[in-house]
Amino acid sequence: MTSAPPVLRLTNIEKIYQTKTIETVALNSVNLTVNRGEFVSIMGPSGCGKSTLLSLMGLLDEPTSGTIEVDGRAVTSYSDKELAGLRNLKIGFVFQSYHLINDLSVVDNVELPLLYRRGMGSKERRQRAIAALDKVGLSARTGHFPSQLSGGQRQRVAIARALAGGPEIILADEPTGNLDSVMGEEIIELLLELNREQGVTIVMVTHDLQQALKTQRVVRFFDGSQVG
Amino acid sequence: MLRHLFTLIWNRKRANLLLISEIFFSFVVLFGVGAVLITTAKNYLAPHGFNYEQVWRLHVRAGQGQKMPRAELDDVLRQVKALPGVRTVALTSGNVPFVFNTNNSVFGYKGKKSPVTNVYDADDHYAETMQMPLREGRWFQSADDGSNHRPVVISQDLRQSLFGNGPALGKIFTWDTPDPNPKAQDEFLVTGVVDPVRMESDFSAPIPSVWLRLLPYDTTHWETANVLVRVAPGAGGVLQEKIARTVAGVTRQWTTEVRVMNDDRLHRRMYTLVPVVGLSIIGLFLIINVALGLFGVLWYNISQRRAEIGLRRAMGATGAGIGWQFLGEMMVVTTFGVVLGILLAVQFPLLNAFDLPVQPYLLAIAAAAGAVYGITALCAWQPSRLAAAIQPAVALREE
Ligand SMILES: Nc1ncnc2c1ncn2[C@@H]1O[C@H](COP(=O)(O)OP(=O)(O)O)[C@@H](O)[C@H]1O
Ligand SMILES: [Mg+2]
Repeated sequence: MTSAPPVLRLTNIEKIYQTKTIETVALNSVNLTVNRGEFVSIMGPSGCGKSTLLSLMGLLDEPTSGTIEVDGRAVTSYSDKELAGLRNLKIGFVFQSYHLINDLSVVDNVELPLLYRRGMGSKERRQRAIAALDKVGLSARTGHFPSQLSGGQRQRVAIARALAGGPEIILADEPTGNLDSVMGEEIIELLLELNREQGVTIVMVTHDLQQALKTQRVVRFFDGSQVG
Repeated sequence: MLRHLFTLIWNRKRANLLLISEIFFSFVVLFGVGAVLITTAKNYLAPHGFNYEQVWRLHVRAGQGQKMPRAELDDVLRQVKALPGVRTVALTSGNVPFVFNTNNSVFGYKGKKSPVTNVYDADDHYAETMQMPLREGRWFQSADDGSNHRPVVISQDLRQSLFGNGPALGKIFTWDTPDPNPKAQDEFLVTGVVDPVRMESDFSAPIPSVWLRLLPYDTTHWETANVLVRVAPGAGGVLQEKIARTVAGVTRQWTTEVRVMNDDRLHRRMYTLVPVVGLSIIGLFLIINVALGLFGVLWYNISQRRAEIGLRRAMGATGAGIGWQFLGEMMVVTTFGVVLGILLAVQFPLLNAFDLPVQPYLLAIAAAAGAVYGITALCAWQPSRLAAAIQPAVALREE
């Protein structure tokens, strides 16, 4: 295991948002390595660049400077198509507001990442989606629509969706931010269990110190820089 | 992916209802306009069945309360024909080509009934003057003087309806509801068959027609006579004046008007062109309206779906893939509208609504479908590009 490259390595990352009037330094010389099987939480006040960091880790955006390596390979100068392919294969996302498509059933939502995978038949997609729903304990809800589910259930569907593609890493941006503490607790327990029992690598942004302390490592940010 | 789009559109059918009904509506309008245009164009391209160039028509009047003895009428015809520049002269009824004057009836033959048929009176020189080639048999002539029945020439479409593929020459048919004791002139002896003719206008369909041979006594109660004159190319106003003077020279009461058949044709065609062009312009405006509406709705949809776009990009969709998805969705929505439209449109040929052939309808359906897909693709193009350009990171920000 030690010889395997880290799932993600960010080196000297700087991200500057340039708008017409102002320039915002969202991230400043960030260095972060995420190893296989790790559960890392990221904490920091609002606006300190946590979502920006996740968008870079998720290959949704490019840093102003610095390098991002996925499985030991730098992704600088990758095309839109190559980045999309990498996201599809290696990365699962979980968002604060779930981002489920309301007009698709639970199972159709979970199939979404598989829809963008070349050469996968509809039967296999369905099987994988159901297996992922099984992992989050929602296999009885496949035909429901998001509006028929509670917030916690919706977030579990979103986690199943992130799992369905068999990613190397799940990036979760405040996954319990819209949930009450009981449901939030459920989600954290689910993520911990997936990490522990299935070996899924997870990076999670959270405001909740209790949650963060349950993970293996806490990275703190302030104003675009790591502070611990 | 296509199935995914169908599922998505189907589940969003309520939200897409407006779009679908707009597309349905556009399809129906385009189909209607298309059917009219195609039918009109098809008619326009079909031959008239006669040659209207270098033909004049004379409207000869005997004068208030006066009748026209055949002897004098023949004298007029002879003298006009003798004028240099006049090729042939024929006597006919008032329903000459391209004027608003019709005379129609229904005929029967051995229990078969003809469609509504235009009835023309014609003398022995009519075919030569109108340059109507005979498909079968011959035009009537002086040799028919002794006939016990009225010699007639019929058009090919009338021939088909009365005689099918069997022989027609020498057959005798009657009015659809014949007199129990028919007179000889009401029994029609077929001497020839001509091509279908379109005498109403450049845009009218062929109408089954029959030409009844004018018998000498037919004209004795006439107060006016219609004469067709085929003239040499280049003949003009000078000859027209000469003709008018010639007619007046025979009997001083008689007068004549000389009209050029081609002018009648050009005049008559306005009666179709004006409404057809009007209809097309109205249709065009409706379609532009619908297209703008469509464009707006799509634009709005995409701004509403930024989070979904970001999500899909995060899941591995490329920018181009998103663009194609939106274009594809629009095509699926269009398909729903077009299928509904086609279901309505096929009722016209199925129920034979306007007694028109099937082919223009099918062409109109294909044309309308093609146009609707084209319009929606055009309207969806720019919004789809917009969608393709949305950055993947929005999924993390549109919270
Ligand atoms: N697309 C953008 N354009 C301009 N500024 C941005 C953009 N995204 C984020 N920012 C700015 O970057 C900083 C960090 O934002 P973000 O990463 O969302 O913080 P966090 O998730 O920690 O609350 C903020 O000041 C925010 O206003
Ligand atoms: Mg954030």
